[in-house]
Amino acid sequence: MRLRVDGQEVETKEGALLLEVARVPTLCHHPQTETRGLCRLCLVEANGRLVPACATEAREGLEVRTETEELRALRKTLLEWLFLTTDLSLAPELRTLLEEYGGEPERWGEVPRRKGREALRDNPFFLRDYARCVNCRRCVDACGDGIMGVYALAMEGRGLLAHPTTPLDRPLPETPCVFCGNCVQVCPTGALRPLSLEV
Amino acid sequence: MEKPSLLPLLDARLPLTEAKVAEAARLAGVPLAQAWGVVRYYPRYRGLPQGRLLVDDPVARARGFEALLREAEGTYPPLGLEALAPVYLRFTPEERYVEWQGQLVPFSEFRLPFALGKGGRLLPPEPILDLEGYRALGGLEALKRLGQGLLTPEGVVRAVEEAGLLGRGGAAFPTHLKLRAVAQGQPPKYVVVNADESEPGNFKDRFLLEHHPFLVLEGALLAALAVGAERVYLYVREEFQAAILGLEAAIGELREAGLLPLPVEVFPSGGLYICGEETALLESMEGRRAEPRLKPPFPVERGLWGRPTLVQNVETLANLPLILREGPAAWRQKEPKLFSISGDVAEPGLYELPLGTLLGEALRRAGAAEVQAVLLGGAAGVFTRDLAFPLRYRERLPLGAGALVAFGPGVDLWEVLEGLAHFFREESCGKCFPCPLGTAVQLEMVRRRERDPKLLADLAATLKGSLCGLGQSAHWAYQSLLEVEGAA
Repeated sequence: MRLRVDGQEVETKEGALLLEVARVPTLCHHPQTETRGLCRLCLVEANGRLVPACATEAREGLEVRTETEELRALRKTLLEWLFLTTDLSLAPELRTLLEEYGGEPERWGEVPRRKGREALRDNPFFLRDYARCVNCRRCVDACGDGIMGVYALAMEGRGLLAHPTTPLDRPLPETPCVFCGNCVQVCPTGALRPLSLEV
Repeated sequence: MEKPSLLPLLDARLPLTEAKVAEAARLAGVPLAQAWGVVRYYPRYRGLPQGRLLVDDPVARARGFEALLREAEGTYPPLGLEALAPVYLRFTPEERYVEWQGQLVPFSEFRLPFALGKGGRLLPPEPILDLEGYRALGGLEALKRLGQGLLTPEGVVRAVEEAGLLGRGGAAFPTHLKLRAVAQGQPPKYVVVNADESEPGNFKDRFLLEHHPFLVLEGALLAALAVGAERVYLYVREEFQAAILGLEAAIGELREAGLLPLPVEVFPSGGLYICGEETALLESMEGRRAEPRLKPPFPVERGLWGRPTLVQNVETLANLPLILREGPAAWRQKEPKLFSISGDVAEPGLYELPLGTLLGEALRRAGAAEVQAVLLGGAAGVFTRDLAFPLRYRERLPLGAGALVAFGPGVDLWEVLEGLAHFFREESCGKCFPCPLGTAVQLEMVRRRERDPKLLADLAATLKGSLCGLGQSAHWAYQSLLEVEGAA
């Protein structure tokens, strides 16, 4: 199957995702979880429509553009908003991306923040530090449908301040958690991190 | 329902305790984590505000909001009461009331005054209290013909196609395309009436449900028979308690009269703006957080419980009996549309006008004197001063579901905009990234009266990338206000 990506003809197999043929940043996407289409960093223009490359299959003859002026504005702005609201000091690749897009978070002024939330130490293995959480839900998915089927994580609230929690907000040892570490493994920003790395 | 749904199980257990949440999860067959996510999502499980509440709609924002707020202990999102605004509610742990004409009227008894409706075809000329009243108006004729084989399911779809009916919920998608897609799908299939009207400024569906339930039900049944659905759900905004009771009574009457060809039931909504987004609506019916799904697949292919599902707006379906009675050509000649007109007009109300009526003419009907701007469509709408604008679909400005909120010369439009921005931030579900971030940023920008075109362009480009229509349209009003100011 052939399609065009930024003017170049590309060949790919049936059922391939646009992500496999387009070089775009991702954040919520992870090969082992079912989270996709959430962060919108991988949006591309396919035949003039905005679609997430991580959740859209390639089609014969599709015309894909990965770096229009609007898409650059979107990625730059999204990264700025993430840095403005969330502590991303443990996500160096996001910092690099912000710099690549020439982001200046301060230009947006004051906005409500996730920063400043207390880290939760409720188990001997890892921290839950939601000041660093971008809400990609990889952990929730890894714990539930995606990998483990344990369902020890749930989502709390709505909007900007929504974040993962445990059923009934219980400390992790009082939940079905088996401390497999998958949630820590898939967290892209260090919001979940092993206590062994804390000094 | 295929399986017991979590939301009704939780509703039956209010006020909730941890044990009751666990019990509801067990009965619904879902993990406690899912139930907890639901409980921490919907307002009525998290806990509703209490006391005297001001309905924070665009009209209240235009009438000295700060002073109005001083008389209240909190606010409540728009409730389809714009024609009566400003309105206060009273919430106690036992009951919710509308303060109306010096009385506290419980939600279960409060209907929009009948006199607000001004029309002829979609709006009843006099209150219809029962099935006989509806029949006297020529109701149920199409349904009868369908039952007798004088009209075929395909005949219904064809009539809708010839009429060219576009969805009245705001997206203006051709109705016959959805009907046909579901008709071609494999059973079991469902029809869901989207009666979760929550767009600020709109009260047309609320009025139809409260005063013309049989028309809505006949439309839904016609659609269900046309597509071969086995069940109809009416997903009704949970606060419209009187409408829910009226619908249940009407369904009962139809059933008793042997006129219900398939099961019909009411499903009280999750009580949030996002619940009106069709896939978020389906998620809530399936017992999850009302968060939009990625599309495709569309509900016509994989909707409720993964089955082909026709999701249609109330007003759209109410047009079906009309189209079949009048004939598509006659219907189309003077295509009826309901406009919810409120704000600075002498006679706010629900006006049935032919599609294409000029904005200025619509306002004149409602007795507008001097108008500095109109909010067209709602929160997902635009400010305009173009009174020569023809009110129809696929024009320069979005019609939305047909709300017109008029603002007189003294109104601070930025205050109105701040209300809309606040609404969007509160109603963002938080599933994708641009919307919760962007609506929070937008509210701060509006509060400081930010007019920097570069910031606004980037805000717009980013919100446009949101997962669903809520985020994608959240900046429209902001952008349009700057355009209106620039043109002044």
